Order: sequence, then structure tokens, then C-alpha cells
Amino acid sequence: MSVYRYARAPAQPADIDSLLAWPVLVLLLIGLVMVYSASIATAGGSRFTGHQETYFLVRHAVFLSIGLIAGAVAFQLPLRAWQQFAPWVFLAGGLLLILVIVPHIGREVNGARRWLPLGPVNLQPSEFMKLFAVLYAADYTVRKLEDLGSFKRGFLPMAMVMLLVGFLLLREPDFGAFVVIVAIAFGILFLGGINLRLFLLLALVLVIGFVALVWLSPYRRARMFSFMDPFENDPFGKGYQLSHALIAFGRGEWAGVGLGASVEKLFYLPEPHTDFLLAVIAEELGFAGVAVVVLLFLLVVQRLFAIGRQAITLGRVYSGMVAQGVGIWLGVQAFINMGVNMGLLPTKGLTLPLMSFGGSGIVANCIALGIVLRVDWENRQLMKGLPA
Amino acid sequence: MKFADSPLLSQTVPAWRARFMLGALMLGFAALITRAVYLQGVNNEYYQEKGASRYARTLPLAATRGRISDRYGDMLAVSTPVRSIWAIPDDTKLQPAQVRELARLLDLEVRDLDRKLATDGDFVFIKRQISPELAGRVMALNLPGIHDQPEFRRYYPSGEVAAHLIGFTGAEDHGQEGMELAFDARLTGEAGSRRVIKDRRGAIIEDVEGARQPREGQDIRLSVDAKLQYQAYAALQDAISANHAKAGTVAVLDAKSGEILALVNAPTYNPNNREKLSGAQLRNRAFTDSFEPGSTLKPFTIALALEQGKVRFDTPIQTAPGHLTIGNATISDAHPHGVLSVAEVIQKSSNVGAAKIAGQLTPHDMWNNFDALGFGAPLKLGFPGEVGGRLRPWKFWKPIEQATMSYGHGISVSLMQLAHAYLVFARDGDLVPPTLVRQDGEPVAGTRVYSPQTAREVRAMLEMAVGPGGTAPKAQVPGYRVAGKTGTAHKLEGGVYAHKYVSSFVGFAPVSDPRLLVAVMIDEPSGGMHYGGDVAAPVFSRIMGAALRSLGVPPDAPEPPVLKMAAGTAPAKPAKPAAPPARAALAPKAMPVAALRVPRRPAREPM
Repeated sequence: MSVYRYARAPAQPADIDSLLAWPVLVLLLIGLVMVYSASIATAGGSRFTGHQETYFLVRHAVFLSIGLIAGAVAFQLPLRAWQQFAPWVFLAGGLLLILVIVPHIGREVNGARRWLPLGPVNLQPSEFMKLFAVLYAADYTVRKLEDLGSFKRGFLPMAMVMLLVGFLLLREPDFGAFVVIVAIAFGILFLGGINLRLFLLLALVLVIGFVALVWLSPYRRARMFSFMDPFENDPFGKGYQLSHALIAFGRGEWAGVGLGASVEKLFYLPEPHTDFLLAVIAEELGFAGVAVVVLLFLLVVQRLFAIGRQAITLGRVYSGMVAQGVGIWLGVQAFINMGVNMGLLPTKGLTLPLMSFGGSGIVANCIALGIVLRVDWENRQLMKGLPA
Repeated sequence: MKFADSPLLSQTVPAWRARFMLGALMLGFAALITRAVYLQGVNNEYYQEKGASRYARTLPLAATRGRISDRYGDMLAVSTPVRSIWAIPDDTKLQPAQVRELARLLDLEVRDLDRKLATDGDFVFIKRQISPELAGRVMALNLPGIHDQPEFRRYYPSGEVAAHLIGFTGAEDHGQEGMELAFDARLTGEAGSRRVIKDRRGAIIEDVEGARQPREGQDIRLSVDAKLQYQAYAALQDAISANHAKAGTVAVLDAKSGEILALVNAPTYNPNNREKLSGAQLRNRAFTDSFEPGSTLKPFTIALALEQGKVRFDTPIQTAPGHLTIGNATISDAHPHGVLSVAEVIQKSSNVGAAKIAGQLTPHDMWNNFDALGFGAPLKLGFPGEVGGRLRPWKFWKPIEQATMSYGHGISVSLMQLAHAYLVFARDGDLVPPTLVRQDGEPVAGTRVYSPQTAREVRAMLEMAVGPGGTAPKAQVPGYRVAGKTGTAHKLEGGVYAHKYVSSFVGFAPVSDPRLLVAVMIDEPSGGMHYGGDVAAPVFSRIMGAALRSLGVPPDAPEPPVLKMAAGTAPAKPAKPAAPPARAALAPKAMPVAALRVPRRPAREPM
């Protein structure tokens, strides 16, 4: 199995799944425009960007280009190769996570050590770790398909891996990435057919424990639910970000205040071009913009699951798990990010996939979608009776 | 083919789980849509209000306060642009070094500045009314939450010369004293406002709604003549220091229109720097201080008696032996005079004579007379603390009171009231209201108080008082015929007359066609002289002379230069009578010249 053998089947554009590709491209483009709109004021008013208004636009466009190229490259690799490398890639990701928390190597921004300086850009291993978790959990599920009924052989090893990864991620800290990776790993195990009673039991124990923990301490309870009314609970402290996000939503009404006309992005809303991009969309493009974004994500997720289902039907379980794993990833992360923006969930640092500013995130998303498009392409090849 | 690729395996992957998971995600997305509908379509106003409270601000658009100028347009009060530094405490997260720098620039204590920045709310003044240049340096520090706004500072070019007249404004640009207070509503205008959205750094992004434009304050042109004001100020200051007096007041009125041309008080203050301001400096004595005027009131008693035909110009009055006992009180003259004509009662200022004439009048008539002259009620020119003086109801007058009131005791007036009342003699018996605003119309017809003949007769008596043998030759103005009356009153302290005096003089000129009226009051002269003729009359002379010349009023009593000196330096010697040559021209029915007796020396002023 030499490398050139994998690359022998060049993909034809006609064989790319347009139902997935178009919504993704639209989301990427809306993201590019909104990152620019959201960041004009902060970039223009900051010393760190040299007062360049296009600072984030230019970088986002560069990352997007890199992401598209990386996605195209990923598209060239057969799923067999991804499966083969999955454990090693995951291991490498783990090493990067260790590296990132080593002082003097990992770069600290706002009290979180999440980045590896890599020449002119910073690499965020946790973003790639989400992709690696998909590849690895799919491989794990396929390998252990027969053992998934067993707690000891099916569940426990993955739980141990997650504990380890979780430990590393919480050292950064990056709670958001941890939640997403755990959701990906156990989501794929669930899809693969992990013992349902075991799964539900574990879920129940976790939920009861969590609820008890929160319920027993009024302080924790208050903090936990403070996001529900950020205007009452410390509106200028913990609730500050969220309260401004909600104001942005309220100002946007149905049709928005118009592209570029957001007030909240003018230094009120922190991180308008990353975690709270949706709030700027909501203010400038209104409910219409928000609905379009939600629906596009829905299309993407639905399509990812469909492609995965088709692969499984064709007997390509790993490919199917990868496709659905990416669906879980993008679906869960998009849901959490948007839920946070709307005050449905407690504030956690998570970007909006495909849209928010952030090189590592965009590139990892593009690679993942390149892989899924490859899964689809291979599906089509099989259905045409051609070798995948 | 590897085991994992076996098609058989796919049968063991339960398809419902993927559908379940996709369904769960779809539910989640549906929840997001629902939430977005609530946030953006249902409860949006609540969030918009919250947002507005954070970044919408109502900014005042300051109306420029109107300027105050003298009658010729010389500025007496103008507003100059300054800036005030203010902060949004919530936004100012300053490093200690930044606070120190800010405190140093604004000359504040670091502790005070910290306290200001720790206040609640979204607005606090850091320092008001600093120069635009200093504000520029503060803003160049580029501190978050620190802002500046344009304001106006009132500047008074004439400084202490017109301090009491103009008054001043407080920090909110509203008048607190003087004309600034009296005309505050007209000067202030109406501030406008604009509602804007500001970004977090305080820059204005947009106007939310149409701005309400400010209505600029109106300029006010006073009746005051800045040049006369200065001359009056200088003369009063000199008189105060020469006589070691406690205080003093001068008012100059236009006899034709009732306009106040100058009004000065001493002690005064600099309205541009009011840091060490005492109440005594602040008092606009011409309006706020009433005093027993003394002899300056005699002409009004005489005028009433003339008007009622009780006496005539030359009716002889026996004033010997120089004192008069009414009940258990005794009225006395400073010098016994024997038989005096009514005119001479004024000229020599005989208390006994005045009291005897008053004895022929009813209290009711006297009260009506005083009331018609404006005594006992404030002039209502808008000055704060304007007094009406003391004028008891006539029904409760005792005979002795009626007698003393005839020569200005037991009654109190402000200097402005006194000056105003004298207009009846400067005019032909009618009284016009005093005003501080320039009148551009025709000469005002006043309210008649005395007949023209009575007014002219009293005018002639008043000219005699200034002439040789009168009490105030020092009031003479070379080249002009002058009329006036002195007053010297003991001050009442705790109900007892003390050995402290108020010296006054009220007069007008030129007698042939009175143009100006000057009233002088010197409080507690203690430089050895206290008679009005010695203390107040020279001030009158100086001011009146300067004013007539500066207004270009043609002289009506040409005099050879050599006699000017005599008139100014040796009043005790009988100077050439200023009046007689023109007397006949003045008023046909005035006293014949022969009726005037030229005394050897000026009579001493009774109390």
C-alpha cells in the first residue's frame, strides 16, 4: 500500500455531493462576510492589529483558502488510508495537546493555553483533535463492533481515552472542546451500537450526579442558571457578554439593522468575530439571517448523516461512522455555540463551525468535510460498480 | 478484505440510532429557531431598551447665553468657550499611573479623583470649565471612559467696575446676581438635545432621532454707559479711601428717560475670580441697603406744602431758637438761623423749618406723597434682595414722627429709590420708572406727582443749596448750573443713633434742562468729615462734571476759568452765584432773583 496508489483516482467535480457542498460553501462565505463585518471596529480600533480594519478579513480569507486546499487534499485520500492512520493521528493529536500545556511552548491568550506558535500563525490542537476524535472513534467502533455490548471491552477503553484527553483539555482549559470531543466519541459509540442499557444507565448516573451537585449548592445553582437572565445576574460581570448578545438579537428583529450597521460589535460585544458571530448576524441580518444559518447547518448535518447511512448500507461502516461523526461534531458544536449566543446554554468558549474566525477550526472543518465528500464519492463509485 | 470492511457488519449497526441522533439534533435546531423568534420577534423591545440604556445617551446641546452690553454695545458679559471633563465611571478602568497622570494634569488630588471614578451611574464631572487647550491634552491621554464636552464660561470684561450691576452666573450657567439673575430667562435661551448611540469608547455613532435645536439666549443691551460707569467707579473708590469709609454707592440716571446710566457700589469684587468673596463685597447696596436719608428728603416735604398752597417760595418760617419741642422730643438745627424763607429752609437745610412746614400737612397726605415717590416699596428692577425701605402706615404716625420724617428720619429708603424720586425735580414734576434696559423710544411721559411749577420752584431751591450760602457748594460743576441736596444722617444701631454717619448727595444738571441725575451715598466716613456737603458732594461734582462733558452737554453757566478753581477749592468763600444769570430763562414762574439772599458762609448741615 504505497501512497501513490491512494491518489490514483482523481475526483471528478460532477461526483461531489452538491447537497453537502453548496450549503457548506454558503456557510463559509456568509462566515467570511460576517467575520469582516463583525471585526471591522475591533480590528480598526486595536493596537494589536495595527489599526487595520481588514486584519481579520485577510487572515480569515487566507485560512479559508488553506482550508479549501487541505479539504481538496483530504478528498484525494481513500477512507481506507484515514482508517489506517486514525490511531496514529489521534495519538499525534494527544501529543500536541500535551505540548500545548507545556509552559514556554504553548501560547497563552486570556488565561487559556490553547495555541502552539507556528511561525506567523498559531495552531490550535484542540480543533484538530475534534477531527482526530471522529477518525479514531469511528475506527475504534468498527474494530470493537462485536464488543460494544460489553462494558469492559467496549465502553471502558474509550472512557479511559476520554478521561486522558479530557484531562489535557481541561488543563488548557478548553471546556468547550472537551464537551464536543466527548459528544463525538460517545455519539459514535452510540451509533455503532453500544449496549443501550449500559449507555442509558451511564447517562442517567451522570445526569443525576450533575443535577444533585447543582441542586445541593444554591451558589452553584445560581451560577448554573445565571445565563437565563443575564440582566438580573451580574449584567456587567459574568452576564456582560451574554446580555450584549441578547441585545444584539433584540435589535435585529426580523430583518436586521442592515449589514455593517451593528452597534453591539462596536466594542460592546466581546469576541464578535469568534464566539459571538451569530449575535452580529442576528443584529445585522435579523431573524432571517439567523434562520438561514440554522437551516443551512441543519441541511449540512442532515446530509452528513445521510451520506453516513448510505456508506453503512454499502457495507462501509468506518466511512459511515466518520461521516456521521462529523455530523455530530458540526451539529453539536453549532448547536452549543448558537445556544450560548441565544442564552439557552451557559457561556462556554466554542466557535461557530465553518463561520467563526479561527484558522485551526476552519481548516479542521474543511478537512473533515473533504473526507466526508470522499466518503460520498466512494459511495458513488461503489454504486457505479467501480472500485472505491 | 479486512474484517472491518465486511458488508455483514453493517447489519449489526442499528439504523434507528442515527435517525434518533439526527432527530435530537433537529429538535435542538428547532429550539434555536424558536428561541430566535422569541428574542427577535416577541421580546425584542425589552432587549432594545436594555441596549438603549447602555449605549443611547441624551446629549445636551447648550444654548449660548446672551451677551450683556452697555448702551453703546460695549460688552459687559460674554460667554467664552471652555470644556468640561467628565467620565462614565463604569467604563473607566484606569491604571494607577493613568489616574496619577490625569490628576496631575487637572490639578486634582488622586484621592478625590479615585472617589469620583468610583461613583455609580454613567456620568460624573471630573473637572469643569477648563481651557480648551488643557482639555485637549487630557483627551490626548486617550483614557477609556473619559470624555470632554464644550461649555461656556462667563467672562466680564469690565471686571469689578460693573460687578454689582451685571452680577454673575453659577456653574450651571444661570444667573446668580445682578442683571444675570434679573434677565436670566431671556439670557439663558433654551438648551436643545440630541439622542445618540455611542460606541463603547464614547464615540457617537448615530443620532437616534431628530435633534432638538437649542434656542440661543438673547443679547441684552443695558441702559448703562460703560464710560460713565467707570468714571463713577473711579470717583467712588477715591472717595471711599479719602474718607476711610466703610462702603458707598453711586447711581447715575438719565433724567429724560429714567434709564440707569451707571451704578457702582463699594466694596466691590472681581466677578471673573470669585474665590474669596464676602457678603459685604457682594451687596448691591443701591438696592439692598436702606438707610435713613436725612435732609435729602426735605425737598419732598416742601414740594408737598407748595403743591397744597400751604407755603410759597418765600413764605417766612421762624426757625429760632434753632430747636423745636414736640411732645417730649426736641428737634434742633446744627446752627440756629432765625427767620428763613421756605427756599432757605432747603438751602440751609433747617430741620426746624422742615418740621414746622410738615406741621401744616396731614399724615395721610405726607404718606401719599412718599408713596407716590416710590418709597416703602421695592422698585422691582429684578435685583435680588431689593428692599422697599421703611414707611410706616400714616394712621400710626405720632406727631414727632411726622416731624422727623419731614427731614428724613424715621423713614428709610434705598439709594436707588432716593435717586429715582429726585427725578420729579429734574423733570417737571412727573416720575418715570427707572430702567436698566436701553430705551430707544421717545422720552417717556411719567406719572405726575407735582405740578411743573412746584417742581421748578423746588429745583430753584436745590440750586440755591449748591450755590453760595448753601450746604453743598462742593457739588458745583464748573460751567454748569447744578441743583441738589445733601443728607447727613446718624446711623441707627440697635435702635439708638450712633456716632456713625451716612453722607449723601442727590443732584442733577444742567438746571436749565436737566439731563443727568447723580446720587451718592457714603457709608460711615471716618476721615474727619462726615457732612454730605463735604463727603458726598465732591463725588457728585466729579462724576457729574465728567459725565456732562463726556456726553457733550452744552454748558449753561459759562464761567471764566479763574473762578473754576475758586469754586472747587474755596467753597467757604462766596463764589460767584452760578445760577442767577440763567434763572429767568429757566422758568418764568420761578423765584425772582431778588428773593435770593446770598449768605456769607455755607450753613452747617443739621442732622
